[in-house]
Amino acid sequence: MTLLECRNIHKTYGHGVATVPAVRGVDMQLERGETLGLVGESGCGKTTLGRVIVGLNAPTSGKVVFDGEDVSGRLHEPEFRRRVQMVFQHPQSSLNPKFRVSTTLREPAILLTSMRNEELDQQIEQTLRLVGLGIEYQTRKPKQLSGGQLQRVAIARALMSSPDLIVLDEPTSSLDQSIRSRIIALLKDIQERRQVSYLFISHDLSTVRKIAHRVAVMYLGRIVEVSETEALFNDPQHPYTQALLSAVPSIDPDDRSERIILRGETPSPTALPVGCSFQDRCELVHARCRVEAPLLQETGPARHVECFAVQ
Amino acid sequence: MRLFEVEALTVGITGSPFPILREVSFYVEPGEVLALVGESGSGKTMTALAAMGLLPFGIEMTGGDVRLGGDSLVRTGGTVERSAAQMSMIFQHPTSALNPTMRVGHQVGRVIQINQRLGRTQSLEAAVELLKHVGIPGAKRVARNFPHQLSGGMCQRVMIAMAVACQPRLLIADEPTTALDVTVQAQIFDLIKSLVSEIGCGVLFITHDLGAVAEMADRVAVMYGGQVMEESPVRDLLAEPRHPYTRYLLESVVREVDHRVEDIGVDFALTGCRFGHRCPYVHEKCNGFPPLVEISPSRRVSCFLKTEELR
Repeated sequence: MTLLECRNIHKTYGHGVATVPAVRGVDMQLERGETLGLVGESGCGKTTLGRVIVGLNAPTSGKVVFDGEDVSGRLHEPEFRRRVQMVFQHPQSSLNPKFRVSTTLREPAILLTSMRNEELDQQIEQTLRLVGLGIEYQTRKPKQLSGGQLQRVAIARALMSSPDLIVLDEPTSSLDQSIRSRIIALLKDIQERRQVSYLFISHDLSTVRKIAHRVAVMYLGRIVEVSETEALFNDPQHPYTQALLSAVPSIDPDDRSERIILRGETPSPTALPVGCSFQDRCELVHARCRVEAPLLQETGPARHVECFAVQ
Repeated sequence: MRLFEVEALTVGITGSPFPILREVSFYVEPGEVLALVGESGSGKTMTALAAMGLLPFGIEMTGGDVRLGGDSLVRTGGTVERSAAQMSMIFQHPTSALNPTMRVGHQVGRVIQINQRLGRTQSLEAAVELLKHVGIPGAKRVARNFPHQLSGGMCQRVMIAMAVACQPRLLIADEPTTALDVTVQAQIFDLIKSLVSEIGCGVLFITHDLGAVAEMADRVAVMYGGQVMEESPVRDLLAEPRHPYTRYLLESVVREVDHRVEDIGVDFALTGCRFGHRCPYVHEKCNGFPPLVEISPSRRVSCFLKTEELR
């Protein structure tokens, strides 16, 4: 069952002449209990899309449909807030340094749920245990915790209101490899127990491969390819996806397949070319790409690609 | 003869009995890339700074030797001679390592001006040539730009131009691509490789990414808690890690891990083996400091367990 649907979301920053189109018409669905990985490079609009979904930014146009209802204008309602939570990239700066862990966890529950007193204390203990921290962590303050522990607290805070969807914005990119793997394992475990959906935003493809059921690849504000994870990694179709995957260094020393090195840099979103936004860096470019922008089209089972050459 | 050799390098906070780096040893042959790999806080950057004579105030070298081409760079009083013309360094965050108030052409030009004793105009011309050489399109125009006008990838190319300006014998690259996207990372790796084969210098490549190690390095030194745990050719290390820490590190990348094991991160034992408190094979002997012992030609491991037991 579809939990979240984005319909033609646009988000433009700035006014008048100096506008930056960060998200340019995104359509996307997320099923209940599913993890959708949203990958792309810096500046491609993935964080903006995440923020639009949780209601931290209002879309310039387009609709966010959550659980069958259009929530675009209702983002401040406590019930929506309770059901959609977010975990940010740097736990050091997203947790209040003056709050003890128990206070941090108490806040969303008090604001968004009817839990009080014993019930609330129980929920705090339960959630802490769920994220793998002992109840003795309740009295700690952020500066007494390591990066991995802080991110566990941030995840616990998001879980306090029993949400249906958690938007995770680069939750592991500031962590070391060994801790990163643990956080991923933890998130998977929580998903199994609570049937929560994740929108997992990341630029780290190997992490996304470990956690996501489906992956959406973003380039300059548009989703250029969506597919089931293994299908995408084994057979990327969009030329940008191919370059992106091939750029990830492999740990296997025998895997010395030829890297696709992209030409030049990502064009500035303020001066996008007419037609396909990937045209100047694409090997498969032809005349049509320079005049007309391709649209996301189905190319296989559960697979959509935005490229004339593939369609 | 070895190009660059660090032997039993020990570095500590002035007045503290616990060293930050403890008997760090490794070497780099001409034309070779040695990767120094480890998690945050393992002492990778500190090692590079000590070797360059750039230790921050309050931290001093208390023992060991740093040799370039057989000549010791350590002077009486534990300071290391800075030899910018022979050793140069690429830093992690290109945007903050460059001077924000100077046009990039002049920054590159200054390096040439000082080290090759050329005039200002001449060195500026040489700088533009160099910028062209590191793959910056429109080098003449870019030379007049300030760092904030350039993307992260471009700034890193400028840094690299500065580093190779004097044809160094040793290039130290401290996480040169951590702040960059993967497709840009692929471009930068490509550039570093081609420059290294052109100049024929040795490279000390610092990273936390094992994929980057497999991609770039000939040999690897694995660090943990300021101690070199294992030094080995890259292929052997990835195929058959010997040290318990190396195994742990590789497993965290490849395998599913148990998220319930406590995050330990940068925390390490102050006495004895620094991995002692996390090691599954720990025994009484580990209360002493394990020296780096050759277990086969070209492989050294710092562990009391015998070679057979480490298999």
